[in-house]
Amino acid sequence: MITTALTFDELSTLMKQAAGVTVDARELEKAPDAPFTTLGLDSLGLLGIVGELENRYSVALPTDAERCKTPGEFVGLVNNALRTGV
Amino acid sequence: MNRRVAVTGIGVVAPGGIGAKAFWDLLSAGRTATRGITLFDPVGLRSRIAAECDFDPADHGLDPDLSRHADRYIQFAVVAAGEAVRDAGLDTDAEDPWRVAVSLGSAVGGTTRLEHDYVLVSEGGRRWDVDHRAADPKLHMAFSPSTLSSVVAEQFGARGPVQTVSTGCTSGLDAVGYAFHTIAEGRADVCISGASDSPISPITMACFDAIKATSPDNDDPEHASRPFDNNRNGFVMGEGAAVLVLEEYEHARARGAHIYCEIGGYATFGNAYHMTGLTGEGLEMSRAIDSTLDQARLDPTLIDYVNAHGSGTRQNDRHETAAVKRSLGSHAYDTPMSSIKSMVGHSLGAIGAIEVAACVLALKHQVVPPTANYETPDPECDLDYVPRTARPRKLRNVLSVGSGFGGFQSAVLLTRSGGRTR
Amino acid sequence: MSTERPRRAVVTGIGVIAPNGQRADAYWKSVREGLGVLDRITREGCEDLPLKVAGEVRGFDASTLIEDRFLVQTDRFSHYTMAAAQLALDDAGLPRENPEEPFEIGVVTAAGSGGGEFGQRELQKLWSQGSKFVGPYQSIAWFYAASTGQISIRSGLKGPCGVVASDEAGGLDAIALAARGVRRGTGAVLVGAAEAPLAPYSMVCQLGYPELSTVEDPDRAYRPFTAGACGFVPAEGGAVLVVEDESRARDRGAAVRAVVAGHGATFTGASRWEKSREGLARAIRVALDEAGCAPEEVDVVFADALGVPEADRAEALAIADALGAHATRVPVTAPKTGIGRAYCGAPVLDTAAAVFALEHGVVPPTPNVFDICHDLDLVMSRARPAELRTALVLSRGLMGSNAALVVRRGDESAR
Repeated sequence: MITTALTFDELSTLMKQAAGVTVDARELEKAPDAPFTTLGLDSLGLLGIVGELENRYSVALPTDAERCKTPGEFVGLVNNALRTGV
Repeated sequence: MNRRVAVTGIGVVAPGGIGAKAFWDLLSAGRTATRGITLFDPVGLRSRIAAECDFDPADHGLDPDLSRHADRYIQFAVVAAGEAVRDAGLDTDAEDPWRVAVSLGSAVGGTTRLEHDYVLVSEGGRRWDVDHRAADPKLHMAFSPSTLSSVVAEQFGARGPVQTVSTGCTSGLDAVGYAFHTIAEGRADVCISGASDSPISPITMACFDAIKATSPDNDDPEHASRPFDNNRNGFVMGEGAAVLVLEEYEHARARGAHIYCEIGGYATFGNAYHMTGLTGEGLEMSRAIDSTLDQARLDPTLIDYVNAHGSGTRQNDRHETAAVKRSLGSHAYDTPMSSIKSMVGHSLGAIGAIEVAACVLALKHQVVPPTANYETPDPECDLDYVPRTARPRKLRNVLSVGSGFGGFQSAVLLTRSGGRTR
Repeated sequence: MSTERPRRAVVTGIGVIAPNGQRADAYWKSVREGLGVLDRITREGCEDLPLKVAGEVRGFDASTLIEDRFLVQTDRFSHYTMAAAQLALDDAGLPRENPEEPFEIGVVTAAGSGGGEFGQRELQKLWSQGSKFVGPYQSIAWFYAASTGQISIRSGLKGPCGVVASDEAGGLDAIALAARGVRRGTGAVLVGAAEAPLAPYSMVCQLGYPELSTVEDPDRAYRPFTAGACGFVPAEGGAVLVVEDESRARDRGAAVRAVVAGHGATFTGASRWEKSREGLARAIRVALDEAGCAPEEVDVVFADALGVPEADRAEALAIADALGAHATRVPVTAPKTGIGRAYCGAPVLDTAAAVFALEHGVVPPTPNVFDICHDLDLVMSRARPAELRTALVLSRGLMGSNAALVVRRGDESAR
């Protein structure tokens, strides 16, 4: 049973590490519906973040994860998947 | 100077059989050459299938040094070039060597060999500070991408402009296009042109896994490559080479060579959009098509067949359908458009040349090769994709189009009418 | 029948990221002064390799020229090329992004080694951790087309885009490809090459070149045309030019800095340096012919200067064969001895230096070379003032290509 949850802090760090995109965690938290594309994160970047999370938690995230359009949607989906172990 | 450029020879190394004849037999029968990977153990990969060539260098009379040391993609190119030169009846010793050029493409060059030796020098990936003593002393030949054209030029005594083109998945089309310009503008009379790639290796398979571009249909490899089908789920990796002998028209006539067709035009544009993404509009590919038609002064309604890039990714198939409609207008609906990647997979840089070879053979046989595995139409892809069965048809003007990572959009026009009909 | 004058391809912008300067003017200052910057290789993991000396680009401040995300998503060779492209656009007075007519401007690069450092990192992840650890950017960072694609996308350039994956001479072939595109109708092309071959595995791959110098003294490691010639020293970096249709440039009030007048390319086989004499001479003749230029009109030669005795001899003889008696009078220079050979980037850097030399009326010197054993007027020690109208740039590649480019002063009126 995984108790870890993905926070906006961690997402911000991942965006920086995996795709070189700098967005402050507070900004993500304040505007969770701002599209990834306007934040500068492209589809490859999101795939990289999904891959990193999958490797880190040794789980397969649903394919919808890489199709998420916003940080809010992504964090919600990932946490749901980690919680239910899907 | 704008001289006419003829195609006088073809050589192919493709999955499903070596040589232009075996290649055409596969295409015209609508058979697929995709299967589980045998070149290495693909355990752990998401996509473990590919279209592999059953190729043994010993069968093709390569000199021992090439057989032993040259990379697989270079061996492919030498064998395909040999067939093309023989097919053209070209006596390379009788040609002025300074007027014989080489223009070959490859997307990933010596990657497979580079990976092989990397494992040796890094203790299986454990060390950043690699140990050079374990490396093959000829490793620089895999490192330098120009080795491809260099080796082929050496084999056939070419001394004119020798170029290697690497524009990702349009490398093959662009290499033929550069060759076309080289002859049309008078820098050479003959050009050995085409492309080769042997990318079926762990690193290349893994990098396409990472972006989920390749099909994960590991249980049914024969039907995994399904361009334009609504249930497609990515491309299937391939390997191979195709080489054409391009020749100045009068030069070919003077020596009594058989002329398959002419290159009517070539163009390439960047989409300036995304390294891997494509727009839904296909504006840039359409512009490339329009440019080739302009060069040949050919009305779009005279296009008889479009050989599609048709990789079998959703975005590609829609992009390309939109581009062809934009250029051909309502005539697009009357024009068969098929993807041979359904049968021979996607050999990255090589496939553009293999597809041009398929177009030349289609013109020769007056038969359109099919899109194998096409069963379920995609409402957004509503053209005639020539499902499953080859189709006899009167063919004079044929287009081959391609898209590549990096945004490259290219088109080559092949014609038997000599163009100039408007 | 058209009486229109044929279109001419001219240089309107230069961007440089080189071991001796990270802007075109800084590079030219170093070249003119004959500054030598060859030094011990300092990159991590390279300490124990038998190749010790190279021309490194040091203190490269990417952040002022390209966005952070490219530092993660692309290899060092693309960082350099993208930065040089940006500088070239600025220099030419073209917009950094989204020009009004995107199809008017294309991008052509030459690449001789691709994204080796990025590739090594991903290979390490694959083989030490497994395929799931290979990142998504491997598919677009390692391959030879990476820089052209990224530049086209970043600046919104939709014109003809190309990549010559080649040995050294490919740098000149790329410029010719761009110039021909312009003559055929493209408005302008960003063209050039920058390389980053100084990563551990990339260096291992180069050790097989018989021409590589492994001499450990930076002052003695690369001395072409001398009795002490012992091979070449590799370098990183390169240059990007804006090659533009002359009337387009004049219409928008851009300075026409030089004309790309002629190019010739031949092939004489990998490491067959004796044969390169004939191939290089022929390339020179073809280039002069295309330029409509007599041998006597060549005012300066930028030599390939490989640093292998047999190759140096072949080059000196090729210049003599092609230029006749004029060969002993024309000043010859090889500024690359101060920075090393940046593969495809090397002849583009030489072309940039040639443009500056034409503008300033100065032949730059050949650093570290003091006493030559060939019949050439090699400019050594210090720059030499001269009235220069036409420069000839030569390049040969380790896989057997030979190329020559004729560049003429921009104010020479079209004939």
